[in-house]
Amino acid sequence: MAFLEHFKVLVVDDTTTSRILITDALQEMGIRKIAIAKDGEQALRAMMEQPAHMVISDFNMPKLDGLQLLKAIRSYGPTRTTPFILLTGKGDRKLLESAVALGVNNFLTKPFTTPALKKAIEAIVGVLK
Amino acid sequence: MTLVAKSHRVTVMRGEYHVVHEGDVVLTTILGSCVAACIRDPYAQAGGMNHFLLPGNNVRQSLDAQSYGVHLMELLVNGLLQRGAHRHRLEAKLFGGARTIEGLSDIGAMNAEFAETFLRNEGISIVGGDLGGDRGRRVEYWPLTGRARQVMLSGDKGFVAPVSPRQPPVAQSGGSVEFF
Repeated sequence: MAFLEHFKVLVVDDTTTSRILITDALQEMGIRKIAIAKDGEQALRAMMEQPAHMVISDFNMPKLDGLQLLKAIRSYGPTRTTPFILLTGKGDRKLLESAVALGVNNFLTKPFTTPALKKAIEAIVGVLK
Repeated sequence: MTLVAKSHRVTVMRGEYHVVHEGDVVLTTILGSCVAACIRDPYAQAGGMNHFLLPGNNVRQSLDAQSYGVHLMELLVNGLLQRGAHRHRLEAKLFGGARTIEGLSDIGAMNAEFAETFLRNEGISIVGGDLGGDRGRRVEYWPLTGRARQVMLSGDKGFVAPVSPRQPPVAQSGGSVEFF
């Protein structure tokens, strides 16, 4: 319980409805601290001001896309190792290869289910309880 | 996604979306309880249509069902943005969401409600369309002009829903109406 009380996740997506759905899913898992950003630029600012313990980010976004955000987060000292889950469209192999090269921790193909999201998070931080 | 540059008719099947950026193209689909969102940016000369049916019959409580719908809406919107459209200029017409099967929960209404909520959340204005009723529709959409036309399909099952959440603007069987 102590872990879930302090574990903070930053959700980054330019689609409002997606942000709402992901936030709802995270809350269903017991995650209480959730920050949201509507593009990569806003997310980067948030990570520099009040870093989260994990970033869940869409790829296709204005200003900074998911890959550019990942690159920026990896090159900023305090967030260099922050777990990063990338949300992508179907069959984008090149994108995944680039993400892996930049140090992505996990990825999910849209549309995904709540259990799949939970599994992706747990693969990085262990069982949520 | 299919990008269309020539002048012709494209059928959008369930689970698909098409974006058009030039040419005299008409997008067409047949809808029962499914919903088609027709979205365009009148200044960028880009428009498109998707066609979705949320899985399951308890969409309101299912994040996963909504996730599927959001994905198809996102694909269409992102396809438009990639062709020079601006989010704040997008305008939508929604069609479908009929209650075509008696006795089951009103899946059509749930699909319609989802689409309306999505567009409201994203700040995309709804400028026309027709949702609900108890009959299927054939919809044609000219994405570059925004013109839309629907033909109500005659009720072959003879089913009339006891309570229809929204009445279609055309009462006559097999009639067609244009939505500008």
